[in-house]
Amino acid sequence: MKKLITPFLLLAALVSAQPSFTGPMPAPPADLRPDTLRRAYQARVDETLDWYLHAIDPAGPLTREQALVKLVRGQDAAAVSRRILELLAEPQSGDMFWMFPWTAIAFTGRDQLSPEARAAIRDAWRTYFPMRGDTENHWVMYYASLFLMTELYPDDPGETWFNGKSSEENHAEAKGFLLHWMDLATTIGQGEFNPTHYIGEYAIPMLYLAAWAEDPAMRQRGRMMLDLLMAELADNSLHGVLRGPNARTDDTSVLERWNALATYFSWTMYGHTPPPSGYGGWGIYFAIAAHHYEPPPLFHLIATDREFDREQHDHKRSRRRWRYSDVEMMPVYKTGYIRRDYAVGSYQGGVTDPIQAHVWDVTWHEDDPRGVHNTMFSVHPHASARVLQMYFTEYPDWMIDLLASQGKPSYGVPDKILGCSPYEQVFQDLDTVIALYAIAPGENFQRVNGFFSRNLRDVTEDASGWIFARGGNTYLAYRPLAPYTWDELLGYRQLPRGNSGYVWERFRPEGPVDRILVSPHANNGTIVQAASADEFESFESFQAAMRALPLEFTLEPRPAVKFTTLRGKKVAFTYGEAPVVNGQAVDYARWKLFEGPHLNAELGSRKITISHGRQHRVLDFNTVTISDYVTP
Amino acid sequence: MMKTLSRTLLPLLLLGALPAGAAPAHDLYLFGAVNITGRVIGSRDVAKNGVYVRTAEGGFTHRGINYPAMLGGAFDPRDARVFHVAAICGVLTTADGGLTWRIGTSWDMTEPKAVAVDPNAPDMVYAALPDGLGVSTDRGHSWSRRENGLPARGKYTQVVTVDRTAAGRVFAGSETGIYLTEDAAQNWRRVFPVVDTVTDIRQSPHDPKHWLAVSQSAGALESRDGGLTWAPIAGITGRRALYSVAFDPTRAGRIAIASWSLGLLTSEDDGATWAFRNEGLPEKHQVWRTAVDPDNGRLYAAIDSGALFGSDDFGRTWQSLGMEDSRIQNLVFVPRARR
Repeated sequence: MKKLITPFLLLAALVSAQPSFTGPMPAPPADLRPDTLRRAYQARVDETLDWYLHAIDPAGPLTREQALVKLVRGQDAAAVSRRILELLAEPQSGDMFWMFPWTAIAFTGRDQLSPEARAAIRDAWRTYFPMRGDTENHWVMYYASLFLMTELYPDDPGETWFNGKSSEENHAEAKGFLLHWMDLATTIGQGEFNPTHYIGEYAIPMLYLAAWAEDPAMRQRGRMMLDLLMAELADNSLHGVLRGPNARTDDTSVLERWNALATYFSWTMYGHTPPPSGYGGWGIYFAIAAHHYEPPPLFHLIATDREFDREQHDHKRSRRRWRYSDVEMMPVYKTGYIRRDYAVGSYQGGVTDPIQAHVWDVTWHEDDPRGVHNTMFSVHPHASARVLQMYFTEYPDWMIDLLASQGKPSYGVPDKILGCSPYEQVFQDLDTVIALYAIAPGENFQRVNGFFSRNLRDVTEDASGWIFARGGNTYLAYRPLAPYTWDELLGYRQLPRGNSGYVWERFRPEGPVDRILVSPHANNGTIVQAASADEFESFESFQAAMRALPLEFTLEPRPAVKFTTLRGKKVAFTYGEAPVVNGQAVDYARWKLFEGPHLNAELGSRKITISHGRQHRVLDFNTVTISDYVTP
Repeated sequence: MMKTLSRTLLPLLLLGALPAGAAPAHDLYLFGAVNITGRVIGSRDVAKNGVYVRTAEGGFTHRGINYPAMLGGAFDPRDARVFHVAAICGVLTTADGGLTWRIGTSWDMTEPKAVAVDPNAPDMVYAALPDGLGVSTDRGHSWSRRENGLPARGKYTQVVTVDRTAAGRVFAGSETGIYLTEDAAQNWRRVFPVVDTVTDIRQSPHDPKHWLAVSQSAGALESRDGGLTWAPIAGITGRRALYSVAFDPTRAGRIAIASWSLGLLTSEDDGATWAFRNEGLPEKHQVWRTAVDPDNGRLYAAIDSGALFGSDDFGRTWQSLGMEDSRIQNLVFVPRARR
């Protein structure tokens, strides 16, 4: 995905600054009346569109995105038609990333483009054979596009489509998958949950269904899924910044939490954070149809109201496991706790997605999060061909090297800070996280990496064993359970491509660098406690309070912790056993699809209630209805 | 341009070093991709991928759609223009030699790893799926699952191979073992257990009761009773993954095994002794696939991100046959008489 953004970022460098990206931090909207929110939403959408129009080189050809924006604005249909003929005269690439842009152009331009341009677009769906891919986001893009295009051309025979199936066959197949995916997401949870970049691959296809599906039920379902995605984004973001855990993120976003495509959606929907550079790359494909959707005021309240602390429990699922596992999809028990100054999030550990998962963190609020590494967490740097084979249908020998060559450079390195591990078990209670590690003999990296941001202040290694630090208005206490040393965290710099794909080198960034706490012990653990600075008279009084908390732990024969949290909870957590809180074992079997102040649903229900205070929206996928109500 | 030239002219130049003879009785089809090591889904394709066919001059020419993830093909014995391909999107079928295609599978079957046609019941097509076994009874037009006897979990299937002597007798190589059906996949039973994936299963062209299989961690396996019982072949390590195995159709007793980490191994005494045959191959002799030409016994080694190599002395010396920077997933020889 990131490599596909490169052209957009190049474009960003060539044109004038983006107003919101380079401007001051936006203030959350004070006026929550629907018409005010709608105008502000449309203004942000227009900013995105305008930026692409202003980037047009009068002497040069239009990019595909510029051509699309011109269609949205109703400009120069004849010139755009000619340009589309040129673009389609070239060999096509992009697979499902090709499909949804051309779907957007086909629908946006259906009443404007010349007959020749429309015919060329239609014929491209015969001559170019896009791959369907191997992840859910690939399939959602592929089938949403195919669903819409076969509605646009409903009666065509198989020989007019790349895959040899008729419009009717393709439409039925696309509908079948889309319903299946929506059913999974609303019964046992989303697979690629809270993704920092892949949110676009879901939100854009859902918007297109909501905008252009002829089938009223699918149109409504698209809108409902988009509601669910945007409500979750609002609920999981700290002032617009999507924090952990994430089913998938990347080496940049896991540190600079703001720097993600998800932030584009936070900005577009709620306006309380700046958009990323180039509007996140794919953001333009949402903007061109954004007028078909708007988040209800209720979602704005969820996104912006941080005046009360809240805990949310969600049920999600892992990526599909093809082999070497007794379960097809591992259940994921996700906890989120958000306060005004920080957020703490986690799931129970284990391997949910072998490459880009992020299991837990504390993310603190920064008045301006741009460029700030506002997070703290630890990981076991796990890398295993056999685990990769669980999720990928590939041979074992080459997979680890392959990942680096395909743009995921950190998978096989010992100091990585991205990814999950079968040897990590995590428990969270409010703003306390306990992560335990029991790394099997023979595993590549017998160590735990703790991430310490360059943006932390007053990092203090206390004689008690706690490491104290401040981030934003948050106090942090990090307790490694085994001896450690410090390393600088090097960056990854892409070198010119060779025949073996992407090539990387490590480099030391200029200025202050992040550090890694390296604890080279197989049985290990991390305890992190967060608190708001406003709760204490001083940083020293926070430290004193932490030192006074009862803590017992052992690492042999397996890690076990007994800890009384800052919130007075007595937590006992032993690797391989259910956590115990105040004498009561945590029963994950009772976990609901959503449970918390803002999102609620029973497991298997297909019915999600989104709430803030007295306002509620019910997404009922059984009846395909959206209901709004206000409680007295 | 350079790649195009090398793929067409280089084999011509080398042809003089290869044995001359009558026109081959078989066409050679390659399934694979070129210059895709760093490719991810959505990348710009810089070369043609999918099906390549050997030309009269000994080079290879691309045919049909540009598709980077084709893993192998199976041909209809009645008409070689009809063949089925395991591709990342499902099973593709062509009725015109690869010019046009139809995906017969739907969204509920994906990433087949192999496909096989029953030569005694050629409307029957089998697909090895990462979550089981797919069967088509109508020449690939529609598909259903037939998994009775396969475990609920543990049925990742890498390879499917049909016994040429009995209709409906099929072997599936999976993550938990070798499975056999004798009623066209209505019922399966495990005939050999493994703990990692079985990667290839082949039937001897000389003795239909003689079968070989290779695996990720169980080494090479052999059956002399038509696949009812299997035993490890001595002298082949199970510590390294083996990817493919081939019989020499021209000479009984000659066998080749391909491995990423070991390179190419051959035996010329029916598996009693083995030799590494990597001299003349690139230093990184990561052999993805091997095969033997039924017309002349030429041994092929497809080197990952390398080229296709050929040997006319069963591995003692090698020549590059072009297809540089390729990943050839499979080589299939098709009798020209079926054209």
